[in-house]
Amino acid sequence: MPDVQALVNDFLNKLKKRKIEGSQATSRQTAELLRSVISQQRVPYNNQAGALIDAVKAVGEQLIAANPVELAVGNIVRRVLHIIREEDLSLTTAAMAGLNLSAVSDDEDDEERDDLPVLSAAVVAAAARSTLRPPSLQTLLEDMPDTAAIPHTSSSGGDSEGKSKSADKSSRSRKLKHDVIEAVNELIQDITTCHEQIAEQAVEHIHQNEVILTLGSSRTVLEFLCAAKEKKRSFRVFVAEGAPRYQGHLLAKELVARGLQTTLITDSAVFAMISRVNMVIVGAHAVMANGGVIAPVGLNMVALAAQKHAVPFVVLAGSHKLCPLYPHNPEVLLNELRSPSELLDFGEFSDCLDFRSVTGSPLLHVVNPTFDYVPPKLVSLFITDTGGHNPSYMYRLIADYYSADDLVVKRRTTSGN
Amino acid sequence: MWWRSASFILDKQQNDTAQTIPDTLTLSSPPLSMADTLQNPNPNNISAYYQTRAAHHGVVTSDWLAQAQAAVGRHPDDVLPPEPEVKVAGKPFSVIHEFNNWRNQPDLAEAVAAIRALAAVIRNSEATTMMELEIELKKASDSLKSWDTTSISLTAGCDLFMRYVTRTSALEYEDFNSAKSRLIERAEKFGEISYKARRIIAMLSQDFIFDGCTILVHGFSRVVLEVLKTAAQNKKLFRVFCTEGRPDRTGLRLSNELAKLDVPVKLLIDSAVAYSMDEVDMVFVGADGVVESGGIINMMGTYQIALVAHSMDKPVYVAAESYKFARLYPLDQKDMAPALRPIDFGVPIPSKVEVETSARDYTPPQYLTLLFTDLGVLTPSVVSDELIQLYL
Repeated sequence: MPDVQALVNDFLNKLKKRKIEGSQATSRQTAELLRSVISQQRVPYNNQAGALIDAVKAVGEQLIAANPVELAVGNIVRRVLHIIREEDLSLTTAAMAGLNLSAVSDDEDDEERDDLPVLSAAVVAAAARSTLRPPSLQTLLEDMPDTAAIPHTSSSGGDSEGKSKSADKSSRSRKLKHDVIEAVNELIQDITTCHEQIAEQAVEHIHQNEVILTLGSSRTVLEFLCAAKEKKRSFRVFVAEGAPRYQGHLLAKELVARGLQTTLITDSAVFAMISRVNMVIVGAHAVMANGGVIAPVGLNMVALAAQKHAVPFVVLAGSHKLCPLYPHNPEVLLNELRSPSELLDFGEFSDCLDFRSVTGSPLLHVVNPTFDYVPPKLVSLFITDTGGHNPSYMYRLIADYYSADDLVVKRRTTSGN
Repeated sequence: MWWRSASFILDKQQNDTAQTIPDTLTLSSPPLSMADTLQNPNPNNISAYYQTRAAHHGVVTSDWLAQAQAAVGRHPDDVLPPEPEVKVAGKPFSVIHEFNNWRNQPDLAEAVAAIRALAAVIRNSEATTMMELEIELKKASDSLKSWDTTSISLTAGCDLFMRYVTRTSALEYEDFNSAKSRLIERAEKFGEISYKARRIIAMLSQDFIFDGCTILVHGFSRVVLEVLKTAAQNKKLFRVFCTEGRPDRTGLRLSNELAKLDVPVKLLIDSAVAYSMDEVDMVFVGADGVVESGGIINMMGTYQIALVAHSMDKPVYVAAESYKFARLYPLDQKDMAPALRPIDFGVPIPSKVEVETSARDYTPPQYLTLLFTDLGVLTPSVVSDELIQLYL
């Protein structure tokens, strides 16, 4: 355990000091850290899923607090929690199926032993499935048993059967951790290969002799465009430089190295050039539950220009960027202000910045936000590693990847999930 | 029944020839002896649902309120009074009578009243098998729905309960009596579920209300009131613009309530919405029903406000419980069953002058930003998904 704690502290430090760049790297490291936490966690005999969930929530809470703007951290924590719940559920239903045959014959015995009402295995499994799913109209009137109750009933059912079942139980306990770690490995694999999976879809979207516009530099966009190039599509790319970091310059160099016709423009020229563009393809920092996009600064302007000229605005995002939260004040709460030195040279402007007015603060303020919020109505298409989707479809992906219980990652002091 | 003629002249001619049928609406009240009949008691198409709502929204003076409180004598969260004994000598049990009793309680949601009425049906039923009970329930539910076709929550609540009954009877409980008592227990609990739903919605919407914001509210929705109450309790600083809400004067009632909470309120006449819209940060409305497309059916004036808000880029938030989701898909404003409410202008109006008395309108989903429901925060496109899961 102290081993894991050192890893956690180290990672927390890196997050706080913003040493990790990019959501892919952050997601991968978060997933690996959580994998270590899970493998090192000692689980009790009963209710192991609960113990794992608690452990992950405890670490997750700290990670999210260290860098709340990096939404990928929270996403991965919630994905892992969802994985634990799913694996637990599939093991329980498998065990139920095994117990069902013997439970039927032993109904009278069970009735005497249990205080809980006699529920058939099918009902318990159905209830367990519905606790995993978000609340819905179907379950509105139902009185759902606690998730904590379900492993209890299964375990009490198991105990009444005898030694053969208890042997099953202990193998089941090892299995849960094992299954969860396997699933987390798959998740890490997905994160690392997201670029390739998105790039595979490039050919469907980029056609011959098209003009593509992008801003700044995104590795996903680079791979996407090069994949289309590989498939012998010939097209041109306008790259907006993406002040103040000017990463567009780097992207332009890369594209030229791979043999693509590239034009470099300033951000201010986007509106002037947009009428000659067929499609805008950009990356994202995070995608919110309503389909809104947290993207590098300047992309809201590009999106508005694209809407005005009816140009499709396509956003490429790996599934680790999909966040289940709704943005209620994204320009402020999900933004980071970086150093003004990126805009101004301190040497030249040092006397301006020093100049104090009557109130005591300098007259010259420099604001350097990192992100922009693009509302969902400006986005035409999301391309994720699972395919192309409408912004209004995001909620389905969220329902697949996340559980409703995990939206607020807070470790509960009372037991029972 | 609805003629969509291009010219109102044609309409007028048809109306003149069909004078005997009371198509034109006058301010006469409907016949009151309608308790046990299953025929439509409203030949003038006056919507009982909106009449009841109007009665609830009537502006109350403080001593009337005190009297009413004393009469009711309890906090709505406490256990409600036991079921009144309905089997009066000689008079058969009537689900509609039962429903009306429940509906008249101001704090009770329409769907809760419906489900309690159906629970009363179960309690008074002499069926001995689940199938018989289901058939009785279906009859009662149909009669309730046909008695007031304009109330969407009523229809949705009945449907929800029927689905619950048919689903659970298939799964559990071979013993009929325990099944019956369980159904009754769940139906009684539904009132709690409804209150819990309001609280969940209030909690979900807290993040969206920030300090210093201005909220425009239309109509008197108990859910929206709960949202604002919770925000006030959490010491958020905000102010509210209430539309007057003619002809029910919902704005007056709402401003009374908000003034009690020490929330700064400003009353606007309905026409002043566009004028004040640029000071507004968000629009909050409730819903009488949420339809399959993700749009809402709400008090007359909601569509107008949503259009203005949309053109000025202000978010429109809807707070609605999930049992208000209905399997309707109106294609335009006139596509729903007419729900009419008499309007009192205070001065006599010549009989030649027509009055638009519809009590509700339909707001299409593209003008709504988010729906706060007890199933979570939803975009309008999620509604049809939920309905499909339930009904198919």
